[in-house]
Amino acid sequence: MNTQEILNQFKPLKENLLPILHAIQDNNPQNYLSDEALKSTAKYLNLPLSSVYGVVGYYTMFSRKPRGKYIIRFCTSPVCGMMGSINLLDWFKQWLKIEVGETTSDGLFTLEESECLGRCGKAPSMMINQDFYGNLTPEILEEIMHQLQKS
Amino acid sequence: MVKITIDNKEITSPIGANLLQVARDNGINIPGLCYYEKLTPTGACRLCLVKIEGMRGLVASCTVKVTEGLKVTAYDEELEETRKFLLDYLLSEHNDFYDGSYSDELRELMFRYGLHKHENRYFKPVWQKLDFKTDSSSPVLTYDPTKCIKCFRCIKACDEVQGKNVLSFNDRGIHSYIIAGAGIWGESECDGCGECIQLCPTGAIVEKPNREKINLEKISHSAVTTCPYCGVGCQIELMVQDGKIVRSNGVEGVSPNDGRLCVKGRFGYEFVHSHDRLTKPLIKRNGKFEEASWDEALELIASKFKEIKEKYGSDALAGYASAKCTNEDNYIFQKFIRTVFGTNNIDYCTRLCHASTVTAMLKAIGDGAGSNPIEDFETVDCLFVTGNNIIETHPITATYVKRGAAKGQKIIVVDPKWTPLIRYATVWLQPKLGTDVALLNGLVHIIIKNGWISKSFIDKRVDGGNEAFLQLKELTKKYTPEFVEEISSVPQEKLELAARLYATSQTSMIATGMGMSQQVTGTHNVFSLINMMLITGQVGRERCGINPPRGQNNVQGATDVGCSPANYPGYIPVINEENRRKVAGIWGIPFEVLSPKPGLTTVEIMQAANDGKVKGIFIMGENPMISDPNLNHTEKALKKMEFVVVQDIFHTETTPFADVILPASTWAEKNGTFVNSDRRVLRVRKAVECPGEAREDWRIVHEIAKRMGKPMPKYKNEAEIFDELAKVTPIMAGISHQRLDKGSIQWPCPTPDHSGTVTLYLDKFNTPNGKGKLFPVEYEPQKEKVNNEYPFMLNSGRLLYHYHTATMTRRTKALRDFVNEAFVLIHPNDAVKLNFNDGDKVKVESRRGMLETIIKVSEEVLEGELFMPWHFTEAQVNRLTRDELDPYSRIAPFKLSAVKLTKI
Amino acid sequence: MVEEKRIALKNSGLINPENIDDYIKVGGYSSLKKALSGSSSIVIDELSAAGLRGRGGAGFPTGTKNQAAAISCIDCDKFVVCNADEGEPGTFKDRIIMETDPHILIEGMIIAAYGIGANWGFIYIRGEYYTSINRVRKAIEQAYERGFLGKNIQGNAFNFELEIKLGAGSYLCGEELTLLESIEGKRGYPRIKPPFPAEKGLWGKPTLVNNVETLANFPAIIEHGGKWYRNMGTEKSPGTKIFTISGDVNKPGFCEVVLGVKLGDLINDISGETIDAKPWKSALLGGAAGTFVPYSFADAEMGYDNLRERGATLGSGAIIVMGSEKPLIPMLQNILKFFKHESCGKCVPCRLGTNYLYEQSLELKKEKGLNRNEILDNMVNHARIMAKSSLCPLGQSPILPLESLQRHFTEEIINE
Repeated sequence: MNTQEILNQFKPLKENLLPILHAIQDNNPQNYLSDEALKSTAKYLNLPLSSVYGVVGYYTMFSRKPRGKYIIRFCTSPVCGMMGSINLLDWFKQWLKIEVGETTSDGLFTLEESECLGRCGKAPSMMINQDFYGNLTPEILEEIMHQLQKS
Repeated sequence: MVKITIDNKEITSPIGANLLQVARDNGINIPGLCYYEKLTPTGACRLCLVKIEGMRGLVASCTVKVTEGLKVTAYDEELEETRKFLLDYLLSEHNDFYDGSYSDELRELMFRYGLHKHENRYFKPVWQKLDFKTDSSSPVLTYDPTKCIKCFRCIKACDEVQGKNVLSFNDRGIHSYIIAGAGIWGESECDGCGECIQLCPTGAIVEKPNREKINLEKISHSAVTTCPYCGVGCQIELMVQDGKIVRSNGVEGVSPNDGRLCVKGRFGYEFVHSHDRLTKPLIKRNGKFEEASWDEALELIASKFKEIKEKYGSDALAGYASAKCTNEDNYIFQKFIRTVFGTNNIDYCTRLCHASTVTAMLKAIGDGAGSNPIEDFETVDCLFVTGNNIIETHPITATYVKRGAAKGQKIIVVDPKWTPLIRYATVWLQPKLGTDVALLNGLVHIIIKNGWISKSFIDKRVDGGNEAFLQLKELTKKYTPEFVEEISSVPQEKLELAARLYATSQTSMIATGMGMSQQVTGTHNVFSLINMMLITGQVGRERCGINPPRGQNNVQGATDVGCSPANYPGYIPVINEENRRKVAGIWGIPFEVLSPKPGLTTVEIMQAANDGKVKGIFIMGENPMISDPNLNHTEKALKKMEFVVVQDIFHTETTPFADVILPASTWAEKNGTFVNSDRRVLRVRKAVECPGEAREDWRIVHEIAKRMGKPMPKYKNEAEIFDELAKVTPIMAGISHQRLDKGSIQWPCPTPDHSGTVTLYLDKFNTPNGKGKLFPVEYEPQKEKVNNEYPFMLNSGRLLYHYHTATMTRRTKALRDFVNEAFVLIHPNDAVKLNFNDGDKVKVESRRGMLETIIKVSEEVLEGELFMPWHFTEAQVNRLTRDELDPYSRIAPFKLSAVKLTKI
Repeated sequence: MVEEKRIALKNSGLINPENIDDYIKVGGYSSLKKALSGSSSIVIDELSAAGLRGRGGAGFPTGTKNQAAAISCIDCDKFVVCNADEGEPGTFKDRIIMETDPHILIEGMIIAAYGIGANWGFIYIRGEYYTSINRVRKAIEQAYERGFLGKNIQGNAFNFELEIKLGAGSYLCGEELTLLESIEGKRGYPRIKPPFPAEKGLWGKPTLVNNVETLANFPAIIEHGGKWYRNMGTEKSPGTKIFTISGDVNKPGFCEVVLGVKLGDLINDISGETIDAKPWKSALLGGAAGTFVPYSFADAEMGYDNLRERGATLGSGAIIVMGSEKPLIPMLQNILKFFKHESCGKCVPCRLGTNYLYEQSLELKKEKGLNRNEILDNMVNHARIMAKSSLCPLGQSPILPLESLQRHFTEEIINE
């Protein structure tokens, strides 16, 4: 679907800005919001450009830079943190060979830190796109990554 | 009113007032940085925390509305400690470097709390770690995030005051910073009005012009004066350093602009100090201009004008007054033309602009000026805007309109071309060029059919009552929605909606501009507009009426003080003998000197010159070689005249045709008054000296009068000129410079204790019998037709960034940086048919002349129609326009010329 | 032995959440029918009688809140908003409700709407809760199909339109007033109060904002009556509460118990004691905006006021257990980093304060011994000033973990 088709699914009201941004971003194979998409959104909703860009800049789930096919949201919030997620993240960064905020050179994975994902019972935990993974260890992480790389 | 106590001091305040404002108004200077009186309170800086009995904890006083019996503690140890603590925090994210070029409220507080001493600071600076980048991409300002205290003032200024919504925060928390548009200020919709600059409490947003030079401590003085550009009459404060104007700020809290400015008012002063300024009189000898002394020049002028007068008679002389000069300048000028030349051939650019509006209004309701104050643009229930690109031509009036729109005001826009106002319109009627009478008769037809008329108003206040109404009804019978749609192309439903909204709203007000006036049927256009207004009773009450937003800063005043071929000062007709006697008495001259014959109008003067009837002309502050229609004719006329004097501040497109050029003064170099669109008489105050040998305009005229043997009284100063003016002009009889120093006054103001008139026609119209007159008029198709040879109809108009013939604005860098190029707008479908693309060079030709410019493809115009801005001398639109005149107002149809386009 | 009493979680795990018939079979939507058959004021009366308190964390009496919205302006547009922006670390109860029994939430919302006279509702779900979003969306579709939403619900003269709105990664949008800004499509800045949402909420109209768990209790309260609810729990904190227990315990998870149970019993009976079988060092009650309590609080009764009297908080019901070996400073650091990241930046004390406190927590880690005492004391003072000068609850939160750490764990921190 192109941007206009996505926009047309919503009533052109300002209250639909966040759902629209989610829909456009999720529809983009690089999981980001391009300038063209944002300008089309502003035009469709009859909003000033700065309102749209300001909203994108405030909410952490939105990205203006192209990202990988898989967005890894690695929880480093208090519970996961105290259950070892910060050390695990260091290991993970070395394994993926990227820093937080970067994308692997094959364009598959973008690593992001996240606040509490509401899965504290299975700490340390992360989400990859819409899927959740908990009780992480280096071994489990490797297994998950390999599965994703294969598919 | 209620009573409250702050720190045991009893204070009375209106109920619901802002607590912080009330405290400050009573000398209790509670600190605060995010609060600003004309904005909604934010509660972000937390410096204004106070304690209120009965409320838990510390409360931000800017968020509290006063109620009876509030007991407030504004100062105690805990509060001051907390404020100092918060200020210390704030300073840690602020780059303290101060270059003296802006007023810094944070810095003032820093000194107040002793935090300028580093030993008193607790927090280490964190701003360097935040990795902020300055945005200097805007032509007029820089945004430095290292000085931004995230107070929200700029965002609110842009949203609430100016209605532009260009700014927002990006990112969040301590990393927040301001973005304009998509992030690059210079590429955003920011139009440079500078409201954010004026309200920014730190050096985060600072204006670019003069940044390096200006030092607030070296400002020698400032002058509160009136903006020299459009007819809104914004009050500005010019700051002077080393004899030059370095900054222009809006004056808060006064009408008509309450601190708001547009890009021209804020940055358009640079031309005053341009090196191009005329500084010496110039006399043409052997085809070249040579510098001369004042003596030489004035003697030559006096002798030549006298010669022409003796040889050909008084009516062989004419004068163009100036809509840019003060009332005092213009009053002296018309006095000169009438007493020294002895003719009524005096006119000026108003003839090219609102002549139709004024003519129609004078005939129908008796006054040729706006009936309502500018504030009504915000509070009226329904605004009917026709032929007026108000957002670009009268930006400050537009801020009132936008605020009204945000509150639910209904806006009807009639315009053949898209303008930014249409974004706020409830309904947009886009008629074909020249079909306005049909459209308005159509609206009248719908209004009558649905009974949306005010019978009582027609009976009581319309001349001829029901009988006159029936005549109008008969004439408009055939203007059914179907008929009108066919002629104008406006869909029936839109006509019905517009008619209903205008007629049935509680209060409806009309704003009518060039689109209606600058046509051969201009007067008829406005008659039909007034017909609609009279039968619905949308006049004669507060917030109802009709307003022509005036183009120039003093076009209203110049006619008020008599620069008209048909009227003396105060709109009393030339032919009125009693008035001529009275004026002759006041002027101390023989009654016979004053000619009883109405004179020639602006374009007629040029036509008469071509016919050999006008031989000499005195042009003060006008540039007819850009502004007059059919420039080829105008050029011939000027060449044919025997003697041409041009008094101006720069060389213009007209000065090459002069025999003598006299260097004159800008508005910043003299004292006087202007009159704006809502009849406000406003003070103009001198800020800087004239450059070189340039002189104030009235003094030059005064001197010529003396040398022609008809000296005028020695006026000590402009205030004295105004006093005489007031004697001669009944509508301003009660006004004086002294009174004006306390604030502007809206005429009519007949006596010194009269406070001025806010809204006109509340009791009666200014016609002989006090009633409004209906003028039923038929639609006449334009004589200028498109055909195979000239297939497009060209419309002309203005842009925000430039002013009329652009002699002032194109000499201002900031304005040039925004726009500096002519263009012609063409609809995409037409562009495709002719294979035109954006940027193509093209020749535009009419039956009169031609020009070259570039193409801009745009959906703003209808198919078959084009639009060009008329500011740019390299593409003089008036080479293409014609000088066929409206029979009543004698205005030329700038808005319609049949043209053809050929690619170069 | 603590036993669960499931009211909000009554159907959790027992029905297929994607099948409305399952829900109806176990009595679902019968409370709605009951409510609609009576006057709307009965709903408010029952809620007040029940003594239910806001389950999002503030613990404000629900009856009072709903009453305010009900009487605010009789004949104008009103809104009900469900706050499903569960972002408090350690909390996942709302997710459980939405994933396992979305219809109970919907039924609760319709009852709430009827009670206050609202015809539109929004469920604001945080963007990361994809499963919840999908399940709630499906449940709403099914509810429309069966006539529980839309016009003339179940043949009564009551209309209610329900829609999902999405969050996108902001903890602060779980704060009532900021949530409204986010629904309106703006950046998440808290509004000035007054006015409160019941007076001026969404687009200036009266709005009721209730937490997921709060709303999930409505059907049962209508079914059995407010008095029935009041008879459970403690005098000031009646009813049941879902607690989410995580950290150094054997069986981290959730449970719904009658309020008044003891903290230690919860940790032992429900979550199977600590992983090293030793007494826990500290429990963080209520999440990041919560309080650290020592093992001596094992006998504390879990109730809003009971805990407050002892200087602790119930909050969202999160219980994060730190085992005997768990260092506290990294935990504090993590909490302060969280606040710094989530601060919207509008007001000075929070924008600068959260940044400063986080930097100080790094200092705390670096320093040793008694210096730490000084730093901690300094941090508490700062947090106190932040708490009294901030615009919204986020700035008012860091004082909670800091003060409680200082009160109970100064020794611990010095020696860590």
